[in-house]
Amino acid sequence: MLNRRHLLAGAAGAAGAAALTFPAFAFGQAQATDKRLLVVILRGAMDGLAAVPPIGDPNYASLRGAIALGHGDILPLDATFALHMSLPKLKAMYDAHELIAIHAAATGYRDRSHFDGQNVLESGGVTPFSRTDGWLNAALGALPHSRPDMGVALSAQAPLVLRGPTPVATWSPSVLPNVGDDTVQRLMALYDARDPQLANVLHAAMGANAVAMDSGANGMTNASGGYRQIAPLAQVAARFLKDQTGPIAAVMDMGGWDTHANQGGAQGTLARNLALLDDGVGAFKTEMGPAWANTAVIIVTEFGRTAAPNGAGGTDHGTAAAAFLAGGAVQGGRVLADWPGLSASALYQNRDLKPTVDIRAVIKGVLADHMRVPNAALDSAVFPDSASVRPAQSLLRG
Amino acid sequence: MPDMNAAALAAHRFGFGPRPGELRTIAGDPRGWVKSQLAPTQALPPQVAALPAAEDDLLAFGRWLVQRRLNNGNAQQLEQRAARQGVSQQQLQTLTTEQDFVQSFRERVSTAVGARLEAAALSDAPVRERLVHFWSNHFTVSTIKPAAVALPPSFEKDAIRPHVGAKFADMLLASSKHPGMIIYLDNWLSIGPHSIAAQRPERARRLPGGQRPTGINENLGREILELHTLGVHGGYTQADVQALAAVITGWTYERARLPELVSIERGTRSGEQLFEFDDAAHEPGTKILLGRSYSQGGVEQGEAALRDIAGRPACAQFIATKLCRHYIADQPPPTAVERVARAFVHSDGDLRTTMEAVVDGPEAWATPFAKFKQPEEYAVTLLRAANVQTLPPNAGVGALVAMGQRPYAAPGPDGWADISDAWLTADLVWKRLEFAQRFAERLARADVNPIDIGEASLGPLMSSETRTAVQRAESPEQGLAILFAAPEMQRR
Repeated sequence: MLNRRHLLAGAAGAAGAAALTFPAFAFGQAQATDKRLLVVILRGAMDGLAAVPPIGDPNYASLRGAIALGHGDILPLDATFALHMSLPKLKAMYDAHELIAIHAAATGYRDRSHFDGQNVLESGGVTPFSRTDGWLNAALGALPHSRPDMGVALSAQAPLVLRGPTPVATWSPSVLPNVGDDTVQRLMALYDARDPQLANVLHAAMGANAVAMDSGANGMTNASGGYRQIAPLAQVAARFLKDQTGPIAAVMDMGGWDTHANQGGAQGTLARNLALLDDGVGAFKTEMGPAWANTAVIIVTEFGRTAAPNGAGGTDHGTAAAAFLAGGAVQGGRVLADWPGLSASALYQNRDLKPTVDIRAVIKGVLADHMRVPNAALDSAVFPDSASVRPAQSLLRG
Repeated sequence: MPDMNAAALAAHRFGFGPRPGELRTIAGDPRGWVKSQLAPTQALPPQVAALPAAEDDLLAFGRWLVQRRLNNGNAQQLEQRAARQGVSQQQLQTLTTEQDFVQSFRERVSTAVGARLEAAALSDAPVRERLVHFWSNHFTVSTIKPAAVALPPSFEKDAIRPHVGAKFADMLLASSKHPGMIIYLDNWLSIGPHSIAAQRPERARRLPGGQRPTGINENLGREILELHTLGVHGGYTQADVQALAAVITGWTYERARLPELVSIERGTRSGEQLFEFDDAAHEPGTKILLGRSYSQGGVEQGEAALRDIAGRPACAQFIATKLCRHYIADQPPPTAVERVARAFVHSDGDLRTTMEAVVDGPEAWATPFAKFKQPEEYAVTLLRAANVQTLPPNAGVGALVAMGQRPYAAPGPDGWADISDAWLTADLVWKRLEFAQRFAERLARADVNPIDIGEASLGPLMSSETRTAVQRAESPEQGLAILFAAPEMQRR
């Protein structure tokens, strides 16, 4: 198939791929950081007790009943915690001290609406719909403006977490047919002659497509049942982050976590979704190559699910959840939790895992120590009214 | 003497570009053609008239909420419910909350989106349709907020359309009293701290979740000042925000009687008729707002306050700036803004007179292509240029989403950005090229001549470079793709 990629090879050879990506800008002087951040938002509320089962908790097996994981269904982390067997790549990162599993974590939100919960998770606000910008955009805005787009969203529109005044880009796989190379070349000539602004952005689009090419992302389809491959998109994210003049932070999201019915145990709906996530993070690491050493990946969901299964073999909306922090820059190989336990009296409102870790503390710790976002910004512009939520310490190496 | 140049400019800048043959009609009197469409009208495009009423939308959302609570609350009874609702248990189980939500409203919203696009593409009064889009964006109600998901189309029909070309203050009041806005900006959750409902909580009306509102919510009060009337630099303070929020406590809609109303009146009420003033939730007493004292009781207090705000010079300046930014340039010329603001003031906020000041000035006619079309405008331009007569269901929505502008789904209450920076980006422009290509594929036939289509749409505005590029294309399909992606089609 002759497509944009083919044309790009020639164009890049002529002028240099990096220069093509953002030809309208020259940000050479600004101090560039080599730290990179990927944020993965799991929409629909991932079941933390399935992803990171507290297999050593005395109440785990009885409480989880039919969806409890047995010793053959898990990858043990320590005496208490394990990973679901569908997360072998994350387990390998854990063993390489590149992964922290975080448990019993939540935002400050305590109701159970996906929309409100995601709004709080992404805006960083104290209550739903109290702000229209996202915490990552605000964090990037507090850093030296070292490149034309400080962040990129792997979606047609930037999700709330990346929305705000700081310039960010979006890239999404095409749903429409590719424009033929010959047509693009003719249009480029027309734009060059008539419209420098359009010519600039078309050059930039070609550059971005060159960065993204070969990932298979354009061929990926939304298969039935919501099982969406995220690995190709994760590769694209890595390519943007590796680009010398490209963004320093990327955001992806992944749905399919709202498992009200038949979520399964070692196999089934949730297991398949976990495997897709695992593949995605693995593909991202591979594509980052040496830059992985300077990278952190935050994987979060809006809230957890009920501790006990419902009558339909699923779980309903809950409170505390699990999260992951991965990356070569992460001081991993441990579980970060103040484990509240699963006894009846320990559950939140008699049904959910009780939150003991504020997920904002983890995010603030990464933003402070990894991205070097000033503390003053973290407490107000990034996470409003959060001075009492101290950044978690020692999440990162050295 | 016919002025084809001005005709093409008028058609693209004030409308959505011409349909074939329309340029010649416009050319006799381009300014007159624009101005003839500025008068208010009660007539609705047939596609819009056929949409359900606001009360029907509201009831549908209420039903869905109840269903969702059932789903979440008693999963054990799934089987019985499945049987009752005539779906298999398997079907019911695979329906997650999100899927249920989307399925329940997808058709309703996509029908309304189709109506909006088709009305714009087929209209003989495209200038009016553009104004509807402008004002609907000025007073944004977005499907992004779940509770408001069904309401933007009826809000546009009830609160915007009748007042385009009429008094701004009336539109402001219609907007602030419509269930769409009242829900979107949370005023139904707001009760005065000294109201009867606050003193005796059992008097406060329950929200769909079962709880009762507990205090004042400033959201609508703030956005009326910041986004609808004065602008963020319009000279108001936080105390004014609080005062206005208190003034409009109790502004809600007839939610308790909704099922009854629908059964009696069969869903024929407009959103404006559904407004209800809940005296028990209203903060009693005199309020000081922007230096004026409001001692009226009841709904009259808010009506007087909104009319006063609409009459302030800062409001005239804010509206004039937004209109000139929309129709003239991202950085609107100060002379034009001043003239339009004066027209607004002297006509007591008459939007026909105000728009005439935009049209009569030289600025809008002096700088062709100063504005980069928003994706929806761009898509409608192509539909009109191609003489499309009818839109299949869901046509173009996927492309609009890819181009960054799902209709009725602006990301926040400030609406879609009206400057090119927001739209002239690599990914979004690339998606436009893909749309242009796809549309060209659909349209290309041996008897379709791209140059003819270009001339009918652009007239003398087509550049010689574009003409040459289209003529030299290797096929009609490529010629159309180049024409559709040409700068002249993307700008106005």
